Amino acid sequence: MSAVDVAQALWLLLAALGLSVSVSYTGLPVLGQSAYIAVGGYSVGLLGPGGMGLPLGIAAAAAVLMAAVLGYVTALSFSRLDDSYLALATWALAWLAEGVVLAYPAVFGGPEGLTRPVPARLVSHTLGVEIVLTTNVNLVIAALLCILGLAALVRIDKGAVGLDLTALRESAPLAASLGVPVEARRRTALAVTAALGAASGVGSTVLLGVISPSDISPLLSLQLFVAVLIGGARWWGPVLGATILLALPPVADELASAADVSPEHVRGLLTAALLIGVLLLRGPVRRLIRSLRLIAPSRRRPYLGIAEERSRPAHERVELSAADLSVSYSGVQALDDVTIVLRGGEVHALVGPNGSGKSTLLGVLAGDLGRTEIHINGTPHRARRVRDRLLAGVVRTPQRTVILSSLTPAMQVAVGARGGSRLRLAALRQLLATPRSAIEAQRVRAVVAAALRDTGLERVATTDPARLTVGERQMLQVARAIATGASVFLFDETAAGMTGAERERLREVLRRLAASGAAVLIVEHDMRFVGAVANHVYVLDAGRIIATGPPERVRTEPLVREVYLGLDTDLN
Amino acid sequence: MLVQVLLGGLAQGAILGLIALGFSLVAGTVRVLHFAHGDIVVAAIFVGVLSVLGRIPIVAVLALGSSVLFVLLIVAAGAVLSSLVALIVVLPNLPNLPGRHRHAGDVLGWIAGGLATGLLLREALGLAFPEQAYAIPDPFRFDQLVPGGLVHVPGGGTVQIRSIVVLVIGLGIGLIVEQSLVRSRVGLSMRAVADDPEGAALCGVSARRVVMWAFGVAGVLAGIAGVLAAPARAISVDDGAVLGLAAAAAALLGGLGSLRGALGGGLVVGLLQALAVYTLGPGWYDLAPLALLLVLLALRPPGFRAKTT
Repeated sequence: MSAVDVAQALWLLLAALGLSVSVSYTGLPVLGQSAYIAVGGYSVGLLGPGGMGLPLGIAAAAAVLMAAVLGYVTALSFSRLDDSYLALATWALAWLAEGVVLAYPAVFGGPEGLTRPVPARLVSHTLGVEIVLTTNVNLVIAALLCILGLAALVRIDKGAVGLDLTALRESAPLAASLGVPVEARRRTALAVTAALGAASGVGSTVLLGVISPSDISPLLSLQLFVAVLIGGARWWGPVLGATILLALPPVADELASAADVSPEHVRGLLTAALLIGVLLLRGPVRRLIRSLRLIAPSRRRPYLGIAEERSRPAHERVELSAADLSVSYSGVQALDDVTIVLRGGEVHALVGPNGSGKSTLLGVLAGDLGRTEIHINGTPHRARRVRDRLLAGVVRTPQRTVILSSLTPAMQVAVGARGGSRLRLAALRQLLATPRSAIEAQRVRAVVAAALRDTGLERVATTDPARLTVGERQMLQVARAIATGASVFLFDETAAGMTGAERERLREVLRRLAASGAAVLIVEHDMRFVGAVANHVYVLDAGRIIATGPPERVRTEPLVREVYLGLDTDLN
Repeated sequence: MLVQVLLGGLAQGAILGLIALGFSLVAGTVRVLHFAHGDIVVAAIFVGVLSVLGRIPIVAVLALGSSVLFVLLIVAAGAVLSSLVALIVVLPNLPNLPGRHRHAGDVLGWIAGGLATGLLLREALGLAFPEQAYAIPDPFRFDQLVPGGLVHVPGGGTVQIRSIVVLVIGLGIGLIVEQSLVRSRVGLSMRAVADDPEGAALCGVSARRVVMWAFGVAGVLAGIAGVLAAPARAISVDDGAVLGLAAAAAALLGGLGSLRGALGGGLVVGLLQALAVYTLGPGWYDLAPLALLLVLLALRPPGFRAKTT
């Protein structure tokens, strides 16, 4: 292998590394890395020496910046979409990039591409330096960027932001409900992907002195996508993937000359075979690893054993109120003029038949469904996203238990503890190990320890979540919610599937939460449990509150008995 | 001149509409984006070419028997390839089949599986057909309907008779398929599965059968579109990916899942393509639909609506 080959391999690795940030770590199916490589390569060719004649350093920086902005805009435009549409959009982007380059040969040099002088020179007249970018210098720069990139990836993944990312790629709705800024994380990830892709394009253009459409074909996007799928969210993932990609052309050439066909198509066929192979083997390999317990959920940094264990701070008595809520789904009136008040210090129960609008009401209060206005301590609050409502102190658990299978219970609780934080630029702070980041880490550990203790989950804090009982899973949802530091809790059928003893513990937890000043609302069908835990009951039927008051009084209301128990109805 | 451009665009649009119809049908019924759909259209054409004309197709007038065989083979190839995609790639990864939980891994499975299939078709055909592009004979000989293949339009100027016939046939087939899906039992099952797969399963509708039907019908439409499209311009084995993305743009424009919308969307995309080529240059034949797709996705995010419980 010559130095040029090594340098080229490293630039390919950088592109794979960048893509893995979006695909493996954030869970976004991005199929357009070749477009970002094109932006980098062609920009530096057009702006730099031989093109518009800007100094190489400035041209390279501009190229990377442009690609980062493009990546950010891509995410801004498409990250709200379902995964499949994001894949469609980025796939179209890859073809668009190649199409644009071929459609304007006067600008982009047509199929031959742009040729630039080699070796390139970094010149600064102000500093009076001139560096000749020989192959070896280029190689060293590529190696440094790859090492820095890998180190940053490892550091981010190990720390708190890594937790956010794990949570959001396993279940974005759950991550959002715990306050993880899902959209912001996705935008940043895609911007990083694009920037590293562009850097790779710049580097290899400067190295070879040429960029042509064959360097940015959509096939490259697919190849890089397969490459990062193989290793998954591990630092060696992109390294393994890039190595396989490097082995692909020689193997293809060998096969092609043996079969006497064009090597280009054999490369394509091998890529397709690789993609299919990865898909077929992904499941079995994962199951094998799990059954051998090679990779149990990571036990590093269990977020436990903190000396300073703060007890839960007493809240001011909060009060959440919402008046005249109406929601309809395509003609069905799910909520009809509902008014509800949740007071700090009390446990409220929301009961009603299936389809009466309970989950919808919780969704509205949690800021999940539109920008409905509610009042928190008398101040009006409108939420654009679930996270806004969470930062205002309202948290909701999903009705179906969602368990993040690759995080220990303690780490899942830590996701909640981080979600409630307003710390900005968390990833950057973590990367640079700023003092604020260290203080934040301490706080998270203390919060996690307290939430686990409050819910009695310390015993299973580092167990494989797949082994938790149904009741423990439900309790884990409560612990995650508590860790967000919210003061209004909306629990959706949390007692479902719990044993008698677990219900008793849940009752204690809820009462204790209320005693600390929080307002608690639980959706529940078991009237005996409601009677034992709640101070105040709302009965919902067909989108209307039909009764409200202390449980013993509500239970005797004729209308409630009719709706809920089917008594006193005239069946004739 | 402009009349000819517009009519050519509409004819191409009718063909795109047929492809978009299949894409929309699959997306609406199974909630799967058919990433290999465009490649199936092109692959079906080349399977027909390979069987009837061999590896080096010289443009010639096809004999009647060969013409019939050519058309049938292409349509059959479309149906078979599309069904194979359903069987191998989609069914094992389907997110919404009853008894399976929907999770991200499955979605990734059919996305990547579709892409892999498309790539496989492109490259395998590339081995047999290495040239840049191939001119394919017209089995229907539409050009011979009138002398010279041109008709005069009021106000002077001529248009190709082919464009008119393709437009009429394409739209006709599209509407017939749309109507039969609206009226037939299979169509009813498809809508049932689209609305509520679990509910449909409880009523005895087999989701698997419906998936196979959707992909099968989409494949037949892809084959028909291929027969109509192939003689219009020289095609390359690599054209499938962008063709599929153009059909996706048409389907999104018409509202994903709406069959009539897909036909209309096809006409609009075809017109846009023709106008873009007329005003901006031949490179825009591919760029216009791709740009439209990105704009549509950014402005009118579709998203499969999550089921609310």
